[in-house]
Amino acid sequence: MSNNWEMVIGLEVHAQLKTSSKLFSSSPNQFGSEPNENVNFIDSGMPGMLPVMNFGCIEMAIKTGYALNFKINKYSVFERKNYFYPDLPQGYQISQFEFPILSEGYINIDSGDNQKKIRIERAHLEQDAGKSIHDIDPKYSFIDLNRVGTPLLEIVSYPDLSSADEVINYMSSLRQLLMYIDVCDGNMQEGSLRADVNLSVRKKGQELGTRCEIKNLNSFKFIKQAIEYEFQRQINIIDGGGEIEQNTMLFDTSTGETRAMRSKEFSHDYRYFPDPDLLPVNLSQEQIDKIKPLVGELPQDKLNKYLDNYSLDKDIAKIIIAEKQNANLFEKMISESTVKPKFIAAWLVGDIFAFIKENNLEVNSLNDKTKDITDLLKLISDDVISNKAGKEILPKVLNGEGKPSELVKELGLEQVSDSGELEKIIDEALVGEEENILKFQGGSDRVLGYFVGKCLKATKGKGNPKLINKILLEKLKK
Amino acid sequence: MSDIDIKRISYLAKLKLPSEKEEFYSNSLKDIIKWVDNLKKVDTSKTEPLHNVTEKTVSIRNDEVSKSNSVDDVLSNAPERAQNFFKVPKVVE
Amino acid sequence: MKNSISQIKKALIEKKISVGELYDEYLAKAKSGNNNSFNLVIDRENNISSINDSQNRYDNGNPLPLDGIPLGIKDLFCTKGIRTTASSKILSNYIPNYESFVTQQLLNDGSIFIGKNNCDEFAMGSSNETSYFGPVINPWKNKNSQKDNLVPGGSSGGSAAAVAEGSCVASMGTDTGGSIRQPASLCGIVGLKPTFGSCSRWGIVAFASSLDQAGPLTNCVEDAAYVLNSINKHDFNDSTSSNHQREDYLVDINNSFEKKIKIGIPSDYLEDVSDDILNQIDNTKKALSKHGIEFVDVKFKTTEYALSTYYILAPAEASSNLARYDGIRYGVREDGESLDDIYLNSRTKGFGDEVTRRILIGAYVLSAGYYDAYYRQAQKVRRLIKNDFQRILNEVDFILTPTTPNEAFKIGDKLDPISMYKNDIYTVPTSLAGLPGISIPSGLSKNGLPLGVQFIGNYFEEKLLLQLAALAEKELSFNE
Ligand SMILES: [Mg+2]
Ligand SMILES: [Zn+2]
Repeated sequence: MSNNWEMVIGLEVHAQLKTSSKLFSSSPNQFGSEPNENVNFIDSGMPGMLPVMNFGCIEMAIKTGYALNFKINKYSVFERKNYFYPDLPQGYQISQFEFPILSEGYINIDSGDNQKKIRIERAHLEQDAGKSIHDIDPKYSFIDLNRVGTPLLEIVSYPDLSSADEVINYMSSLRQLLMYIDVCDGNMQEGSLRADVNLSVRKKGQELGTRCEIKNLNSFKFIKQAIEYEFQRQINIIDGGGEIEQNTMLFDTSTGETRAMRSKEFSHDYRYFPDPDLLPVNLSQEQIDKIKPLVGELPQDKLNKYLDNYSLDKDIAKIIIAEKQNANLFEKMISESTVKPKFIAAWLVGDIFAFIKENNLEVNSLNDKTKDITDLLKLISDDVISNKAGKEILPKVLNGEGKPSELVKELGLEQVSDSGELEKIIDEALVGEEENILKFQGGSDRVLGYFVGKCLKATKGKGNPKLINKILLEKLKK
Repeated sequence: MSDIDIKRISYLAKLKLPSEKEEFYSNSLKDIIKWVDNLKKVDTSKTEPLHNVTEKTVSIRNDEVSKSNSVDDVLSNAPERAQNFFKVPKVVE
Repeated sequence: MKNSISQIKKALIEKKISVGELYDEYLAKAKSGNNNSFNLVIDRENNISSINDSQNRYDNGNPLPLDGIPLGIKDLFCTKGIRTTASSKILSNYIPNYESFVTQQLLNDGSIFIGKNNCDEFAMGSSNETSYFGPVINPWKNKNSQKDNLVPGGSSGGSAAAVAEGSCVASMGTDTGGSIRQPASLCGIVGLKPTFGSCSRWGIVAFASSLDQAGPLTNCVEDAAYVLNSINKHDFNDSTSSNHQREDYLVDINNSFEKKIKIGIPSDYLEDVSDDILNQIDNTKKALSKHGIEFVDVKFKTTEYALSTYYILAPAEASSNLARYDGIRYGVREDGESLDDIYLNSRTKGFGDEVTRRILIGAYVLSAGYYDAYYRQAQKVRRLIKNDFQRILNEVDFILTPTTPNEAFKIGDKLDPISMYKNDIYTVPTSLAGLPGISIPSGLSKNGLPLGVQFIGNYFEEKLLLQLAALAEKELSFNE
């Protein structure tokens, strides 16, 4: 059965670069505009229009080069990939072919308990195509060219991936890195990150089989479904005595199945050749070096820092570095407060993230509330209020209902840490408890818990439990 | 020179040659390809291809947006439009 | 001799003629349309504000460099609000919402457009017979068979014929493998192809991007300098546009050279040529020798490969450049059941035979299995051709060649493509090297038809090239 089979997967990931303008025109690179609003005559392929390269895209490619351990090529060439499609106004896509801007990179991903190195063959710049809308009219398609010319970085891995989980880990690591270096917004729903999955199967230890390419998957869920379906489909064909045909597949999100694209009379032949409207990109070492500092700290750097300098637990640190905005929020709070990073981290991944999730917020939306949050955490860690009171006040602080110190006063949640007052309350609580006092002195620890509870109740929960504990012990030992 | 598959080439070029013209073009292409075949004699083993006589560009744009053309200007020559879309018969995948 | 731009400007300044009268004179000739040199003539109403503005500047004593000069514009330049067809059926209804860089410069300098010149479809042709709007007729007649209509050359055949017939003072053409120089020669006028990268390609319907170059067709060399001064500018929006410092091409045009000039004549160009053609070279040599110019024999190593290289590279680029004509966003859409039918029908019916042929050649030489043997090999040979020119231009200041291998021929005479392609044998190598070339009239053939010679200069040395051409022109000018 499928136990003897293994899958061999390579990924082509298209990342939309978050530049202001397009790769070869100065129209806005923007999602969600009115149809054909972000289109100029270059984008719509009008006669005589010529491309001019956007250096912002080169900068982002170089940043990616550093983050993904690529060789950054000083010489790269834009070529035309020729094919006809109504989304493609020029009748060709400008891409890089023989000389990509980046080659031979890698990233390390989690695979089970280990790390696995995934080699990346190349990454190249190219233009995105427009969109055809098929569901407005049964007989017609409608063409919106807004997306035409949006810069894409296509990142092509070697076939080093061997399970759906690895593919997901690889994709999410890529997504994390691209978002860290601020070149892609990572929004898969809007198509900012899309994957073509090249999958073949083989019996363990045997040679590579024929691969099929599943096009344009834009969610982790679909990637997983498509891989699992395609894996089984190929095994079934071979087990049934058939042969795999090299095909381009589409994934049907409603059925979870893959199917071959309508077979063409002739196979594709893109007739790549250097775009004569554009001259080769020649970068100097200085231009490349200048971009290095813009890369900033990568997730692995942050992880090491959090473990070594802030003594965070690994699990908590990983949650924080998962997205750059989390890390930014965390580091902002650290820099603004004297509260221990570890204490802040625990609250961040606990109640604060829970609040964000519950209210469907962006992590970034808390950036202007960090001072209030750390003020609150300071009150908690200084025992001015109890943990419980902190949990009660946090949502109000996050909702901007008031300053933590005011809220504490308003709600009367200030902890009683006045030992004289507490002593009085404890003395009262011990009246008539001679039997239990004797039990304690006879060695029963359980009684201590009973007394602490009784005292806390008497303070209406506001007594500082640590202090109560301390005073009680002194009194009981007498 | 190998045979010219005129059907395949016209498919790549999105042209539908009338059958009576296929042979005309096929022969014409054969003649021309035979005529240019003399290039094979040239020793270019030490020569890099020349993409363009100008080899250095000065046109590199900073990443700035300038106003795109108006939707009406983009669509004004469209054979068929529907609202602000270009309209075509349904595309079947 | 027709009036030159400087003579016309003088008349305008001295109020011997008004801008409107000048315009009407040329317009009337253009409208008579005897030679089919225009695809479209612009009515007076549509130019009235330009005419008035221009007249005002003359009245105020501050005319612009080309103020009021009526020009013809090859129908390959996109002109805002004015139909631009590339002489193709597929673009026969296209009205651009933008003005090409080059024509904008001409407008900025005060010139007024008479209309859009007929040309070969998408500039593919050497006789102007591939135009959807019918062939252009050369205003010249063979004195031994007066009734025959002759070709004006191509692809800028309409632009050449219009200047020769006097329906515009000068015209704009484009030259990919000889499309300015060859028709200029066959129509007895001056045609200049500047260095690749001199004049922006922005807004010109592309044929072969690495070769296309705009340039003037004029009655005299000085007029070419006038037009070149206007159009030769760096354009940021054309990535292949050069940003070198441009000179004023008029300043020294009538001066003699300060240093001794050496001109190379490639003897390999002159094997098997007719006496008519040899005479042109001899005339020119004699005329310039009087001015102390030295002539030497030079030999190219790559001449026999130039046409092959060109007929691989140009169709390859064209097959891709013409992919955008699909009937989806603009142009003529032919009916079809499915989207694919619309594509196939619009393109198949929209393109003429020669364009179809070149698209097919281009698709073939780029296709899998043939790319290395044809396209890549041609790009390599192109470098050898460029190096060959550079080697020779290290030895000499200019190169002198015939412009065409023959005089104007009868419309319909050359049916087979290869013999048509051979018309460009002297102009194509220069185009591949990207060098500037100018054709000037050098004499008449036995049949009384004009012939020209070509001077080739070094990169961006149009100023010296025009100076040489002006010197030769003084000696060689012939009467119609
Ligand atoms: Mg792919
Ligand atoms: Zn791609």
